[in-house]
Amino acid sequence: MGNPGSKKNVSKNSRQHKQGKVSSGSKRGRPVPSSTKKESVYKSTVLYGIFKNFERAPDQWEARYILILTAIILRAAVGLAPYSGMGEKPINGDFEAQRHWMELTIHLPIDKWYFYDLQYWGLDYPPLTAFHSYLLGKLGSLIRSDWFAFVSSRGLESVDLKTYMRYTSILSELIVFIPAVIDFVNIMGKKVNLSRMDQILVSAIIITQPSLILIDHGHFQYNSVMLGSFLFSLTDIIKGNYIFSAIWFICSVNFKQMALYYAPFIFAYLFSLLFKNYYDIKSGRSVWKVLWSFDIKKLFLLGITVIITNLIILLPFVIFGPYSIKHISNVLLQILKRVFPFERGLFEDKVANFWCTTNIVVKYKEKFTVEQVARLSLVTTLATLIVPCSLVMYKMLFKRSFSTQSISSAKEKALLYGFTVTSWLFYLFSFLVHEKTVLVPLLPSTLLVILNDSEVTPIVQWINNVATFSLWPLLKKESIILQYVATLFLINWLVGNFSVKSTTNFLVPKRSLFWKVIIISTYIAMLLIHFVDACYAPPSKYPDLWVLLNTTLSFGCFSLFCAWSMYKLYVLT
Amino acid sequence: MAKKDQVTSPRPSASTQENEEVDSEGSYSLFNIWVITLVLKLLVSIGYRSTDFEVHRNWLAITYHLPLKQWYTDTTSEWTLDYPPFFAYFEWVLSHLAPRHVIEDGCLDLVEKGEYGMLTVFYQRFTVIASEVVLFLALQWYVNSSRGYTDKKRAFVVACSLVLSPGLLIIDHIHFQYNGFLFGLLVFMINNARLENHLMVGFWFSVLLCFKHIFLYLAPAVFVYLLFGYCLNTELLYAGKISHRVVRWKNSFKLAFTVIAVFTVAFGPFVWYGVMSQLLARLFPFSRGLTHAYWAPNIWAIYSAVDRVCLQIYFRIPVSRSIFQYIFQFDPSNLLNKETLKSSTRGLVGDSEYLILPEIKPQLTFFLALFYQIMALIPLILQPTFRRFVGSLTLCAYASFLFGWHVHEKAILLVIFPISFLVSRDLELLDSFNLLVSSGYMSLFPLLFTCEEWLVKVMFAFLWYVIFYFNFRKVTRIPKSIGGQGRLSLGRMINSYILGLATILLCTSIMDLYTHKFAFLRKLEFLKLVIISTYCGVGVISSWNIFSWYYFMNESIWSND
Repeated sequence: MGNPGSKKNVSKNSRQHKQGKVSSGSKRGRPVPSSTKKESVYKSTVLYGIFKNFERAPDQWEARYILILTAIILRAAVGLAPYSGMGEKPINGDFEAQRHWMELTIHLPIDKWYFYDLQYWGLDYPPLTAFHSYLLGKLGSLIRSDWFAFVSSRGLESVDLKTYMRYTSILSELIVFIPAVIDFVNIMGKKVNLSRMDQILVSAIIITQPSLILIDHGHFQYNSVMLGSFLFSLTDIIKGNYIFSAIWFICSVNFKQMALYYAPFIFAYLFSLLFKNYYDIKSGRSVWKVLWSFDIKKLFLLGITVIITNLIILLPFVIFGPYSIKHISNVLLQILKRVFPFERGLFEDKVANFWCTTNIVVKYKEKFTVEQVARLSLVTTLATLIVPCSLVMYKMLFKRSFSTQSISSAKEKALLYGFTVTSWLFYLFSFLVHEKTVLVPLLPSTLLVILNDSEVTPIVQWINNVATFSLWPLLKKESIILQYVATLFLINWLVGNFSVKSTTNFLVPKRSLFWKVIIISTYIAMLLIHFVDACYAPPSKYPDLWVLLNTTLSFGCFSLFCAWSMYKLYVLT
Repeated sequence: MAKKDQVTSPRPSASTQENEEVDSEGSYSLFNIWVITLVLKLLVSIGYRSTDFEVHRNWLAITYHLPLKQWYTDTTSEWTLDYPPFFAYFEWVLSHLAPRHVIEDGCLDLVEKGEYGMLTVFYQRFTVIASEVVLFLALQWYVNSSRGYTDKKRAFVVACSLVLSPGLLIIDHIHFQYNGFLFGLLVFMINNARLENHLMVGFWFSVLLCFKHIFLYLAPAVFVYLLFGYCLNTELLYAGKISHRVVRWKNSFKLAFTVIAVFTVAFGPFVWYGVMSQLLARLFPFSRGLTHAYWAPNIWAIYSAVDRVCLQIYFRIPVSRSIFQYIFQFDPSNLLNKETLKSSTRGLVGDSEYLILPEIKPQLTFFLALFYQIMALIPLILQPTFRRFVGSLTLCAYASFLFGWHVHEKAILLVIFPISFLVSRDLELLDSFNLLVSSGYMSLFPLLFTCEEWLVKVMFAFLWYVIFYFNFRKVTRIPKSIGGQGRLSLGRMINSYILGLATILLCTSIMDLYTHKFAFLRKLEFLKLVIISTYCGVGVISSWNIFSWYYFMNESIWSND
């Protein structure tokens, strides 16, 4: 309570008696009972100004319709942009990869999928992506068979094909990601006492973040399906449906292996749920009793769920092929090899992670073999991951606020911060990171806006801006420039960051001087980098200098954000 | 306890109302809407653009390179200048504001076929977006000059519905034209009428006419309104005391001076150079066909559709031949000529002729439009108030849209703009409004035939409809005596008609998807347009009927309270 927004309102308008009373109550420091709705920090945003007109409708279903329709329009309008590798014969880009997978899955028997012409965009995503491609390929062939004609359609570029692909991407997001966000905000919103209207504002902020829109609908990919499945999994954890959560999570991983970034934490969290909290033990509390309360039946159930879900997903590869052990194991091994291509190297292009940034000083590729580097990054990642995972496990078992009697939302908060920290650690330290991978840690980070905290939201919005900024070299290469500027401007406008009044924006946290300095200087540095990038060619000796400046700045911000969320996790009670 | 509650209850409610009023001061701003739509406009700016883009580029080139006297005689490109002088001046200003890079890009080359890059596109898109600010300013003024909480709220909904209009997005920002700016001037005129600044009404309307002569459709209403509301003393007139005092001479001279001044500034230079006849020939090309490249959803679209159906019956059912022959007295030898048949069934571009039904002469369309316009003017003569004025503006636009010669479907905005200022007045007008906007906006869809923009145009129109269907319902005045069963079933019919629109959109879109696959669908290309324009035509005509009914039969809507 006692956020600056309400105080400002009062001073501006002494006539608003009602609000005055509320805020004077909070000044006296009276604890806010958890049953009352916490005053929203989003009341001063432009977004609220727009949705305000629909607030009176019961259930705000109108506002929700408007949110979804606007999301579709925005994505369709961004989709007018060129896609990755447009017009770049003969190899094109990710767009051609996705199209090629549709082509190969509908024309080849299933056991050949992962073997076919690996040099030309060989299938290297897990089975659910393959099935998704198969479905869309079949659907597209109904409209126009030459879009996905075998071999002859390679490198095909036409407006109607582009439109079809764009619409499938929008449809996938509409079916998986957007319902997942709305569902999550609804469930989590109840835990943190958000009103219906605020839930819609929060959903709008999450859905309008530019990174995912630019990558999925500009660059062209289907990340929203993976992220949406993960979000469903997260929501199911909050609801307490651990079995469903496991199923969704396995689906997410089987759509795109990048979802494995979430795996350590989801494992740690679910594992700690198998124990009873110290304060939940009725009599004779002791550490031993906590450890003794381990629920092996639940573990067994979860394990079975994971195995069966994976089996069902892999089943088609077994059924539709010759029934020989050798053949089947060969196919499954090939899938594994394609999905985890360790031979590719530490990083692709320039990425804002630890290895790429320190590579400026230490040339890893010259000093170590690929295998050594892989081992090095594995060890570092695991070593850093142990800290947040064990911390959360400890808290889950031995802190009072994490017991079932507690009415605080500490458990859910730990979930959000935990996913944020671990996925950022993965991004910063793991092997084979791509700049688009930033979407994975960015999702749980963005979800933090639901905490309705005027100190947290500016930092989250800041990291979102930085993440979009870190995509700039990629987007510039594909000339998705207009869309980059427009979407980045839109979201910051909507949360009020261009407002001059300091009380109505989420530019910087109000209390922390440290963050004020950091955030403002980051924004200035970003503008400077954009300026030199636009006006000057890099020195011929270092052709990648501007890109390196970009990744270095982003790396600094990402690490800082990761450290901050670790700290938040540490102090969480 | 209960008594105490009763005593204290009025106070909080009064204070909340006060709060709302205080709140209202800052919150009725269109600025945020402008910013958000700006993002959308920027995003669609790289997409499809019609030949109108090249037309306007050529006008920029003409006004930049040629002396004024040659503007209306130049024929370097086929896209000759055919808007009135103010628009030409406007293009002149824009061409001189163009930055150096844009000029180097080929934006201002006076050639037969322009060759230019993205810079030109961005510059011209920018001019549309920038000039549209006039509309926002005009509507903001309209909102700000409304007094009282309810009035302000109503004005705000109207203003939002107009600035967010899918028509403007489709026509201006994708198809490419400058309607937003011109309709901004129209809003200036309408709001001046509301504030009873008759002189300014005359001024803005003559300015508007000198920008785009399509606004001549509205001229009868403006003329009668100014004549009876400003130049004549109606009290004396209707009392039968005819003398020189019936005419308010001072007002008349002021108005005449204003209008003549505006027209002199516009046309003077061209009269001076003696190119008026060429100018007028450009502005009023009577040689064009009755239905335009696409079919506007009006009477003639339905007439053509009936003609096509008759033709099919004529060929399929031999018995019918003599009947048709007897009724319509046409020349059957025409039907045997393959060439004319092809040209008429194609119907896409070029003039479509009627084969069975009698030919329509331009004079007939003119007299029909004029007749219905005069009908709409009679109540205005008796009662020259603001609402009557806007009502007659609407009906004049309706009449010329439905019966006019060579009407383009874009002209539907001419009806939608004035009617929007009336709907919040009475719930009963809402039916007519909903019919008009749904069929009118839908009829604009075929303008953008590229598949890339399909989702944007459809979703934006749908979103607009969802938002304003409910918002207008919330703010409109509910009349004391609301029609019973009849009105209810009318509402249902309208809703099912609108559902039908969705079905037709779906069917025609699916037809579009499969044209490459099935040859017979390619032959039916024109059928798609016929279906859309006929169905939308039914909607527009019905909305016209409903609106006319309330205009002539319901006194309470139009009087000042």
